[in-house]
Amino acid sequence: MTRYFVRSLGAHLRGGRSLYFLTIFGVALGVASVICIQIINRNALAAFRGGIQAVSGDADFSVLGRTPTFPERLYPEVLAEKGVAAAWPIYRIDVAVTDREAFFLDVVGFDFFAPVRMPWKGQRGDISNALAKHGWVAITPQLAEEMGWAVGDAFEVSSGSRRARLVVGALVDFQRVSPVASRKLAVMDIAQAQSLLGRRGQIHQIDIQAAEGTDLPALISRLQARLGPSVQVLTPEQRENLAAGLLSAFRLNLTALSLISLFVGLFLVYSSTQALLVRRRSEFGLLRSLGATRRQVFGLILGEVILLGGLGVALGLPLGYWAAEANVGVVSATLSNVYLLEEIESLQMPLWLYVLAALIGVGGAVAGALFPALDMSRKDTKSLLAVFTLHERVGSMAFPLFVTGTSILLGTGLWFWLFGWDWRPAGFVLGIALLIALPLFTPFLVQRITGWIRVRGFGLGYSLKSLGVRLQTTSFAVSSLAIAVTMLIGITLMIGSFRRTVEVWVNSSVKADIYVSTPSWRGRQSEATLDDDLVSALAAHPGVTAVDRLRKFFVYSGEQRISLAGVDMGLSGGETRFPLLGGETSEVFRKVRDDGAVLIGETLARKAGLGVGDRLSVFGPGGEVKLPIAGVYSDYSPGGGLAALDIRTMNRHFGPGPIHSLALYLEAGQDTERVVDELKARYAGTPLRIRSNRRLRERIFKIFDQTFAVTRLLQAMSLLIAVCGITLTLLILARERISELAVCRAVGAIRQQLFWIFVGKGVGMGLLGLGLGLVGGIALAGILIFVITRAYFGWTIQVYWPWLPVLQQIFTILAAAVLASLYPALRASQTPATELSRDDM
Amino acid sequence: MICRIGLLVFLLLASAAHGVEWQPARRDYSWSFPQDHWARSGYRTEWWYFTGHLTSEEEPRQRFGYQFTFFRIGLLSELPDLQSSWTTNNVIMGHAAISDLGSGRHLFSEVVYRAIPLLGGFGRYPDPVIAWSRAPAGTDGEWTLRWNGHAFNFSMRDKAQGMALQLTTRPAKRLVLQGPNGFSRKGEGPTAASQYYSFTRLLTEGTLSIDGERVRVRGESWMDKEFGTDQLGADQVGWDWFSLQLQDGREIMLYFLRNERGEIDFARGTLVSQEGETRYLNPGEWSVRSTQTWKSPKTGATYPSRWIVELSGENLRIVIVPELADQENRSHLVKNLFYWEGAVRIETAEGGRIGRGYVELVGYGTRSRPAI
Repeated sequence: MTRYFVRSLGAHLRGGRSLYFLTIFGVALGVASVICIQIINRNALAAFRGGIQAVSGDADFSVLGRTPTFPERLYPEVLAEKGVAAAWPIYRIDVAVTDREAFFLDVVGFDFFAPVRMPWKGQRGDISNALAKHGWVAITPQLAEEMGWAVGDAFEVSSGSRRARLVVGALVDFQRVSPVASRKLAVMDIAQAQSLLGRRGQIHQIDIQAAEGTDLPALISRLQARLGPSVQVLTPEQRENLAAGLLSAFRLNLTALSLISLFVGLFLVYSSTQALLVRRRSEFGLLRSLGATRRQVFGLILGEVILLGGLGVALGLPLGYWAAEANVGVVSATLSNVYLLEEIESLQMPLWLYVLAALIGVGGAVAGALFPALDMSRKDTKSLLAVFTLHERVGSMAFPLFVTGTSILLGTGLWFWLFGWDWRPAGFVLGIALLIALPLFTPFLVQRITGWIRVRGFGLGYSLKSLGVRLQTTSFAVSSLAIAVTMLIGITLMIGSFRRTVEVWVNSSVKADIYVSTPSWRGRQSEATLDDDLVSALAAHPGVTAVDRLRKFFVYSGEQRISLAGVDMGLSGGETRFPLLGGETSEVFRKVRDDGAVLIGETLARKAGLGVGDRLSVFGPGGEVKLPIAGVYSDYSPGGGLAALDIRTMNRHFGPGPIHSLALYLEAGQDTERVVDELKARYAGTPLRIRSNRRLRERIFKIFDQTFAVTRLLQAMSLLIAVCGITLTLLILARERISELAVCRAVGAIRQQLFWIFVGKGVGMGLLGLGLGLVGGIALAGILIFVITRAYFGWTIQVYWPWLPVLQQIFTILAAAVLASLYPALRASQTPATELSRDDM
Repeated sequence: MICRIGLLVFLLLASAAHGVEWQPARRDYSWSFPQDHWARSGYRTEWWYFTGHLTSEEEPRQRFGYQFTFFRIGLLSELPDLQSSWTTNNVIMGHAAISDLGSGRHLFSEVVYRAIPLLGGFGRYPDPVIAWSRAPAGTDGEWTLRWNGHAFNFSMRDKAQGMALQLTTRPAKRLVLQGPNGFSRKGEGPTAASQYYSFTRLLTEGTLSIDGERVRVRGESWMDKEFGTDQLGADQVGWDWFSLQLQDGREIMLYFLRNERGEIDFARGTLVSQEGETRYLNPGEWSVRSTQTWKSPKTGATYPSRWIVELSGENLRIVIVPELADQENRSHLVKNLFYWEGAVRIETAEGGRIGRGYVELVGYGTRSRPAI
C-alpha cells in the first residue's frame, strides 16, 4: 500500500491541483495566523527581556522605584547588606534624537567603576573621556551604521525641554550579551547622564549580584525591609512577569483572534478533505474490491492528509513570519506608546514555534480529515462505488444539530449569568460557545431558508434551492464564512463603538486649544519635563488666557503600576477634563481641590475594586500615601489605570517637580494654527512638541488605529480562508454533481446558464454566511464590549453602529463570494453532456 | 614603593586623553608635614601603604602579617563641571590582607569606588580623615585612614572574607624621605620618579578579626606614602620591593624594576640607621638573588620565593624567607590584577632569625603593564 501511495501521489496531485492547493492554502493560512501572533507576542516580551539582559545581564535582582526614580542615597544601603557581592546604580532615560521623528535612544548611565561586566574593550583614554568629555556616549555598532555615525561624531538629543550634544565615544555591541537587545541602547557615565539629561540625586535602578551560596529570597526580603516601601526588589523573572502582566490582555486577545483564524482554517481543511475523498470515492471502492483493508484505506487517506498538512506548514511558516514582520512596526509602536515598554526591533523565531506550527498544521489537517477519512474507510465497497449521498445524512441531522447548538448557547449563557460574572476569562468561554454553536445552527437554517424558496425556472432560485439539497457540502462553507463574518463584524462593531466612545471622551476632555510637550515624553519619562522659565514664557504668550499644567508619572498602588496625573483642579471649566461617572461635579472637584482627594479612572476603579469613599494607596518617596477617592471618571488608558489629583497635593506627597506638558487656552477669536506657528517659530531652538487641539486628536486616533492594526490583519486572513471555502465548496459541487450538470446540458441548458447557476450558488452561500455571521457578529461584539474589554481592560464602551464600515464589509464579502464562484462556475459550465453515466439514466 | 599603584591595570583606560595635566615628581619638592600626609591632588597616583607583623596579646604564639593600603588614582586633574554627585576625578581603591602565620591562611579584601561623597574620598588637612571608602559590598561600615596627631589610625572590615582590622600606630622612629629630598627615581626618564617618604617603624596595636574571632594585637608596622605621575619607564613591566626591619634597629628598603626580558632595569635602596639616619643605596652597593620559586595554583604565576640579599658596604648578607608560600593577592574587582605581597622573616645564612619584613612582587605571570 505504501508503494501505491507513493506511486499514485503524483497523479493525484496533478489531477486535483485546485483542491490540493486549497487544502494546503487553508492549512497555511491557519498556521500563518497563529504563528504571526505567537512571533509578535513572544518578541514583545523578548524585547523587554533583551533590554534586561543587556543592561542587567549580570544581576541576580534589581532595586526599582515604586516611583520613576528614587534617591541615590539608597545605593550605599544596598552595598552594606550582607550577602550582596556587587551592586551598581543605573540612571536610565529615553532621549529623542533631534531631527528624527519619534526616534529614541535608551540612554543608560552606568557607574564605570562599579564591578559590572561590559561587552566592551575600552581604549586608552576612554575612561577619562567618558568622565569629562561632555556628552561622551557609547553606542551600538548597529546604530552607528544606521545613522552613519563614527567615533568622534556629535549628534543632538533632547530630554524634556533640554537639549544635549552627545559625542560618540565608543562602540559597544550589546547584542553580544543579548541578541534581542535594542540597537538603540546607549551607555554613558552616570554623572553625565544625570547632569546632561536627568536629575541630580536620583537613580532608576540598582542592579545586584548576590554572593555565592546566598539564600536569594532571604536576601531580597532583608533588602526590601532595609530600603523601605518606596522601592521594590525584583528578580529579572519578576520584572518580566510584570511586563507580561501589562501585556497579558493585549497578548491574550491577539492569541484568541488568531485561534479563530485557525478555527476557520480547519473548516477549510475539512471541506477540502471531503472534496478529495468525494473525488476519489470510486478509487477507494476499487482498492477495497481488490483486497485493501479498511485500515489500509484509512492509512492511505491519513498519509495524504499529513503530507498536505506538512506542505501547509511549510508554506504557513514563512507566511506567518512575513505577516509578523509586516506588522511588527505597528505592534512595536503600540508597545512603546501605549504600554511604555521596549520596541521590538528584530524578530526571533525559536524552535518551539516550528514545533507549534507543525502541530497546528499537521494536527489541524488530521483533525479536519479524521471524520471524513473514518467515514470513507468504514464504507463498504458497494456504497463506495455507488452514487454519493452524504448530504442526506446531514439533512436528517440538521435539527438535532440545531438543538445541540441552542443548548450549548443557552447552557453557557445560563452558566455565565449564574457563575461566570466574576471569572475573568468567562467572556472567552461565551465567545467559544458562540463559535461552536454557529456551525451547528447552519445545516438547519440553510435547510429551512432554502426550503422556503420556490423554484420557478433554471435561475437564481434553482441555485439557492440546490444549496439546501447538498447540505453537508454547503454547511461547511456557510459555517466557515459565518465564523469569519462573525469575527469581522464583531470586531468591527467593537472597534467602531470604541473609537466613537473615545471620540466622545476626547471631545469632552481635550478642550484646550494648544498642547505643549516634548519629543522625549512617552508617558514613563519623568525626566521629559519642561523648564519652569519656559512654562512661564509660554503662559505669557500673547493671546493665551489660561494654562493647564500636567505633571505625570507612574507610581505603584500595591503591585499595580498606575499613572498619576497632577493638574490644576481649580482651572475654570476644567471639570470636563474628567467626565465623572457619578456624583455632584462641583462637590467632587471641591474635595479634590481643597481636601487633597483624588479622582480615579474607571479602569483603575474596576481593576482595583475601588470606588468613591475608598482610599487609593500609592507609594511615594516617603512611603505609603493614602488618598481619599472623591470620584470616578471615564478613562480609556491601558495598563493599570490612571488617577488624577491637584498638582499641589501631588507636590505635597511626592515633592515638588517640574511639569511634563502644558495645555494653553487662547482668547476667543484667536487663530489656533497661527498661534501654533508663532510658538514653533519662537521656540525653534527648544525641543518642544506643539500641537493644536486638532493635531492632538489626530495623533490620539493614529495611536488608536495602530493598536488595532494586527486585529485587522487577522480579520482579513479569516475572511480570505472563508472565501477560499466558497471556492472549494463550489468545486466540490461541480465535481460531485457532474452527472446532474450533464443532465442539464443534455436537456438543453446552455453553458452561460450553468455558469450563472454556480455564481448564484456562491452568492447564496455568501448571503447565508453573511446573514448568520451578522447575527453572530452582533453577539460577539456584545461579548467583546460588555464582557471581555471590561474584564481585561476595565473600559466601558458605549455601543455605536459603525454603519459605513459594516456596509462596506458586507459588499466586500458578497463581491468576494462572487469572485470565489467564478472559477468553479467556469469549470461547471464546461461540463459536457457526455459525462452522463448509466446510473444517471 | 613605586610599584603599588601600578597594580591598577585598569588604569590603562585612564590616561591623559582629555587634556589632563598632571604634575611630575620634583627634586626640589617642598615637604610640609603633617599636610603632606593628606592627598596631593595634582599628581596622578598616590598611596598610603601599611604592612606589619602583629602578635596576639593573649596568645603570643598567634602571629599575623597584615597589609592595609589606600590608593588614589587620579582620572582628571580637575573635577568636571557636571550637575551630579557622581562627578569625580579620582578613584579610591583599598587593599587589605591578613596572613595568619599559625594556620597558614592568607585573606585578601578590596574596594574600588569612584571618589564621591556617597562612596569614598580623601579628606583635607586639618580634618583628621585622610581617606575613606565604603566597605566592600555585603559589609556595613567604612574603611578609614585617619591622622591621630602622631601617626595613623586605620580600620577595615569585610564580612564575606571574615576579616577586619582596627589599628592605631605611633612612630618608634622619625619619618624618613626615600631618595634625596624624598625624590625617588624609578627609571632614566625625566618623569620616572615619585615623591616618597616612610615611617619605617610604627608601634602598632588594636584588634584584628579573622573568621569572626576578634584578637587584640600588638606589633610593628612600616608605612609608605608616595605620589607621582608617569613613574614607569616605557619597557618596565614589574618590580620587586622589600621593606626589611632588622632586630638591631636598622631598616632597609630595596626595589628594582624589571623590563620585558626579566632583567633589572632600575634599582635603588635606602638604609636607615638605628638613629634614623638614611643612606641611599646605589645598585652597585647591594644585590638580591632569588634562590627558590613558588607557582600560584590560582593564577599560574611563578614568583621568586626566597632571596639572598647582600649589602657590600655594610658587610651584610641576609636570607629572606616567606612566612607563607601563598600570600598572593588576587583581585575580583579588577581583571588580571594579582600580585604577591607577603610577610617574610630575615635570617642569617646559618638560619638565625634577625628580623622581619614585607616583600611585594608585581608583574609576574601577566603581560599587562602597570600604568603608573
